Amino acid sequence: MPTESNLPTNAAYPTLDSEPFWDALNDDRLHLPRCTACAYVIWYPRHHCPNCGAGRDQIEWFDASGRGAVYSYTVVRRNRGSWGEILPYIVAYVELDEGPRIMTNIVECDPESVTIGQAVEAVFHSVPEARQREHGATGVLRFRPSA
Amino acid sequence: MASKGIKDQVAIVGMGCTPFGEHWDKSVDDMLIEASSEAYADAGIAQDDVDAYWFGTLGSGVSGLTLSRALKIDYKPVTRVENMCATGSEAFRNACYAVASGAYDLVAAIGVEKLKDNGMSGLVGAPLPSDGTRPELTAPAMFSLLAPAYAKKYGVDEAEMKDVLTRIAWKNHYNGARNPRAQFRKEVSKEKICNAPLIAGQLGIFDCSGVSDGSAMAIICRAEDAHKYTDKPLYVKALAFAAGPAAGPIDPDYDYTTFNEVSASVADAYAQADITDPRAEIAMAEVHDCFTPTELVLMEDLGFAERGLGWKEVLAGTFDLDGELPINPDGGLKSFGHPIGASGLRMLFECWLQLRQEAPDDRQIRSVTEDGKTLGMTHNLGGAPGECVSFVSIVGSELG
Repeated sequence: MPTESNLPTNAAYPTLDSEPFWDALNDDRLHLPRCTACAYVIWYPRHHCPNCGAGRDQIEWFDASGRGAVYSYTVVRRNRGSWGEILPYIVAYVELDEGPRIMTNIVECDPESVTIGQAVEAVFHSVPEARQREHGATGVLRFRPSA
Repeated sequence: MASKGIKDQVAIVGMGCTPFGEHWDKSVDDMLIEASSEAYADAGIAQDDVDAYWFGTLGSGVSGLTLSRALKIDYKPVTRVENMCATGSEAFRNACYAVASGAYDLVAAIGVEKLKDNGMSGLVGAPLPSDGTRPELTAPAMFSLLAPAYAKKYGVDEAEMKDVLTRIAWKNHYNGARNPRAQFRKEVSKEKICNAPLIAGQLGIFDCSGVSDGSAMAIICRAEDAHKYTDKPLYVKALAFAAGPAAGPIDPDYDYTTFNEVSASVADAYAQADITDPRAEIAMAEVHDCFTPTELVLMEDLGFAERGLGWKEVLAGTFDLDGELPINPDGGLKSFGHPIGASGLRMLFECWLQLRQEAPDDRQIRSVTEDGKTLGMTHNLGGAPGECVSFVSIVGSELG
């Protein structure tokens, strides 16, 4: 079961094309689309290949490892609203072992300790029930340093 | 195919610009009246002489009525324009095209923004459409990603990078201190800039532009009519605009050391204006220094410095008020402030003063008075690295 998120969550927009990704977050899985024509791993989740143009009949879904490395990051030290109450927090690009570069939050670590190239792994947060309607999904993907 | 351009077909014949800053005692209407009254007087016209208006605001009003109601415009066309932080430039561009087309003889482009009354610091804008997988970012956080990417690519260490960003903020405060209309009119020491509280990543408070209220207006006519209104018109040499695919944040090939939209728009502008050596030919540029690393990257994207060497030129003072190519002689977004809808027209206002040699003595640039250069550039960006719109104008005090 995913742990409840201590970070706020922004609105998600699950659609028929991206629903497999959002649904899998509830079972701690990073489920991504991949093109069977060119093997390109697709981010963000959708039902066509942005690399070769293959359509929905050539897209398959698979469980990615959830492992990757910090490509770059910044520390947000000032913000407003609910995000302003949990400062500082980290926004990072994580390059997955499978290829795609994902913009995400790094959690469960001191913001000053993050480094480029640091190994990280996916962590699956649940959205508190009171916020699910606003968020549009029940899970959210984040990353934490891995051993 | 690039645009065909309208070089020397239209001219600016009058401008107005309010002081930028915290105008708790002025409404949007007050600022529109102040900027337009100054522009009408500058061009020697009455409001009724204006045939049509292009009105830019990001969020301080809706529709042409925001302007026509404030100015009591009698049944003339007013087009409301929005293109993020390049809104004022977009109003100007479309107003110029309307004159060039022959549809109107005399038009006005005006921008306004009132940010200080919204109860919080910074912008309140509708986010771009997205799939919902992105985390929460702030504007400084997005632009802060430029700094480590640039430093790593060109081998600049962290302390040197901080010096470069500090130098840009110091320069723009120095210039703003000589500008009575600027929001921040004080020089600030490099030590103070460097040790300021951090906002996002390496960026401290002095690396961020001013959040302000203000308005600015330009009056535009056909070039052949310009001398009816002024002895010193500014001719429009180039108007270029580029919106990108906004794929940077998910494109593994985008490395945060350049704005592709800027490169595209400036290449179009140089082609329209027949400019081949911008650093030598242009007297000054007002560029979109929303955050200090933006100005650094722009020096390379606009062709003022070679790739990877812009940081050395910044430290050498190339872009200082008395440097080879003054950048943001009015203090830029950093010191003059950034009331969104007005900013693009505010940049033109500084070209208006500098190229006509009407800037205050302690700010008038020598590239115009001594070197005899006649061209100025404005560069206005909307959005964030990897997903932005970019505008470039080139204006000049001579035909040809």
